[in-house]
Amino acid sequence: MTTTLEATKTAAIPQGGGLHRRLNMLTAMIGGALFAWIFWFLAHHFLDPTSRTYSDEVTVSLTFGWIVGFWLGIGAFNAPFQWLVGRDNTRDDDLYLAGQGQGKAKYWKFTTDHKVVGVQYIIMTMVLLGAGGILAMAIRTELIIPGNHFVNQQVYNGFVAVHGMLMILALIVAVAGPWGNFVMPIMCGARDMAFPRLNALSLWTLVGAAALLLTTLAVGSLTMGWVVLEPIADQAGVGMDFFAMAIIVFTVSTTVASVNVICTALTMRTKGMTLARLPIFVWGVIIAAALGLYAFPFFSLVEVLTMVDRTFSTSFFIASGGGTGWLQANLFWLMGHPEVYVILLPSVAALFEISAVMARKPVFSYRTAIAGMTGLAGLSILVWAHHMFTTGWAPTLGGPFMLTTELISIPTGLFFLVLIGTLWRGNIWMKLPTVWMFGFIANFIIAGITGIYLSDIPIDNQLHGTMFVTAHFHYVFVGSVLFGAVSALAFWFPKVTGRFLNEYMGRISFWLTFIGVQVTFIAMFLSGLRGMPRRYSSYAMIFEHTNFITTIGAYMIMAGMLVLLGAVITSWNKGEPAGPNPWHANSLEWMVPTPVPLENFDVLPVITEDPYNYGEELVRS
Amino acid sequence: MFWTWAVITVAGVLVGIYAPSRLMPRSMSDNMHLTILTMIVFTVAAAPVAAGVYAAALHALRHWTHKGDEVPAAGPAVRENATVVTTWLLVSTLLTVFLLIWGLGALAVDNGSTGKNPLVIDVTGQQWVWSFSYPGTHVQSDQLYLPVNREVEFRVTSEDVTHGFWIANMGVQVDANVGTITTIHTTPDKLGTFDIRCTQFCGLNHAFMVTEGHVLTSSQFTSWLASQPQRA
Repeated sequence: MTTTLEATKTAAIPQGGGLHRRLNMLTAMIGGALFAWIFWFLAHHFLDPTSRTYSDEVTVSLTFGWIVGFWLGIGAFNAPFQWLVGRDNTRDDDLYLAGQGQGKAKYWKFTTDHKVVGVQYIIMTMVLLGAGGILAMAIRTELIIPGNHFVNQQVYNGFVAVHGMLMILALIVAVAGPWGNFVMPIMCGARDMAFPRLNALSLWTLVGAAALLLTTLAVGSLTMGWVVLEPIADQAGVGMDFFAMAIIVFTVSTTVASVNVICTALTMRTKGMTLARLPIFVWGVIIAAALGLYAFPFFSLVEVLTMVDRTFSTSFFIASGGGTGWLQANLFWLMGHPEVYVILLPSVAALFEISAVMARKPVFSYRTAIAGMTGLAGLSILVWAHHMFTTGWAPTLGGPFMLTTELISIPTGLFFLVLIGTLWRGNIWMKLPTVWMFGFIANFIIAGITGIYLSDIPIDNQLHGTMFVTAHFHYVFVGSVLFGAVSALAFWFPKVTGRFLNEYMGRISFWLTFIGVQVTFIAMFLSGLRGMPRRYSSYAMIFEHTNFITTIGAYMIMAGMLVLLGAVITSWNKGEPAGPNPWHANSLEWMVPTPVPLENFDVLPVITEDPYNYGEELVRS
Repeated sequence: MFWTWAVITVAGVLVGIYAPSRLMPRSMSDNMHLTILTMIVFTVAAAPVAAGVYAAALHALRHWTHKGDEVPAAGPAVRENATVVTTWLLVSTLLTVFLLIWGLGALAVDNGSTGKNPLVIDVTGQQWVWSFSYPGTHVQSDQLYLPVNREVEFRVTSEDVTHGFWIANMGVQVDANVGTITTIHTTPDKLGTFDIRCTQFCGLNHAFMVTEGHVLTSSQFTSWLASQPQRA
């Protein structure tokens, strides 16, 4: 019997591909620009220019054209269209679509191989983090001294909004994107994702959304902060329409990706890979994807209603027309809080996996780990109104939401138990992934405890809307999620490239980033405690010292990230060769050769135990 | 490991006791006293937990690490430990319940009206100024004047977009919403000057939507009120 794998060895450059041969990111951009122009032209000619909402109508039309053209230009509709006219893809077409025999060109195309999509997600995450990071540096440079000296308030406010949203998008995909695509299917013993074309679709939709989001900076007029509060967003110019369309398109991407991840993990597992034998990372990705499936429709909804308010003069969120900004806030945070855990869970689950491999021990209390993650996901949908304690909305709900919020510390505490328990008495191999994992542990405890203060209403009435909150969630996102993401990058980098991520540069990056995080965000806590509100483009002299220190720390983080970028670039082709299983781990992604062949396995493996048996006698206690 | 834990715990407790009142703005109301007290209690309660995690991580770094390029030998294959998991769950649940009881208790007295003839003040935010009016007097001011030791009820609203009314020295924060009045109560108990800042992003000059407030003795307050021009 000839497996697909053997076939690919002989057929180096498949003959198929059809139209796909001519399509790539460049044609997507051209298609997007062309359709944006067509939609703009039509709107411009047929809509009433005297209407109050004219510019918004034209902009919504243009952005819609962009994404349609982008999809067409990348080839997202090719296969459905072929199916529609009764001509299915040939086997050669499929091999071409999977990126066979195209060298590096496949990374710029609508490629279905999950490993290509994984690498595309790595690049995408780095681009988004880079853009968001540059904006962060601009924000901190503005705040290094009081007064407006670097950019004006208008530009500053736009920077804050786009920095926030870019970083949120970047972190949503930072772990689940690269590793949920590259290693997760192999860990399950699958030949690819359940829906390979949807996988490519989710990636390229994200690229289209990110382009819209970055355009908001060019068209300016963002006045509403990243949470897009109403009614202030109603005052924003056309940048807001780009922003709303970017979010709507982004939610399409996450929905498609979540469905794909869940289907793959639930239906594509190889023989013997029971749910109880799944590597813990797969569990983390499933739970995060399920939570995303719940959360992101609210995001889409809130932006659709915003858009309708702006283009058709409805007033869902506009008080003067009978709407209420509280509706916007509720919908936004119904998404906004679960989203934090969509970001956090893959990072934590990756660290569970890494801690077991590096300490040469099974994950301590595998079931507790799953219970903790499930508990966190479940509670996270019941806590949204703690973002609204000070809004004046439903004061009687303060107590109940304080209750659900504080309960979250129980499943979160279990994460520490599992991590520390796994490291306990292990032989902890101090390599790059381990170093960043210890950084996570140190930062995540600060993130957690400062969260408890804010869950308490009497304290929140003082600290809500101050830099204390900003510092708290940056300890979550930068100090914790990013550290977990870098640990995962260092851990799976050898599987992607066949080479180690440079240990020396990685450690320099770690120390710069770790010290930078403490300096930046401890000083930011102090700014908040002393009474500095968030989203300030300037501040009173009493906040001068802490802001100066924060800016210096932020530059350190940027330096650390640049060193990491240097390590990734230099190690990708020239790093120390690693072999197929450098960490001597037991899960399936390390059992296949590096580079991983198309469809991963020659013969699908049969699983008889979980991947955490490192050879020592089982100790029961 | 015990000593590492003990040292970090003591350090955390000391920070908890001494830092909040020194780092936060001078407390000028009952709400703010409660906020600072809660900060202290929470920090003291969290210190041993954080110290436990730090001590364990440091202990692991000191005693259980393996350097170099060879693969370390397998560690003990401990998969479960019912006692540890149960204890951990029990302790974290008890701590959470304690924080909850404290929090709900504090919430019950925080910002609650005592019903003892509060002074009502209408607070209006608009891009990017605050204005205060004193019902029954036709007095309007751009700075806030309060009598000491008398409960105040702020009735907060906005003319354009959402603003955040925050007295940094009093632990009082509530949004000013368009078309809605939100109320919040406090009783100032120290004389002096305080800052009012906007905590809800409100556009271009959000950072400059700041004004001052003053707590006066009740006779000073009465004469200030009388000296103000009456608006029709």
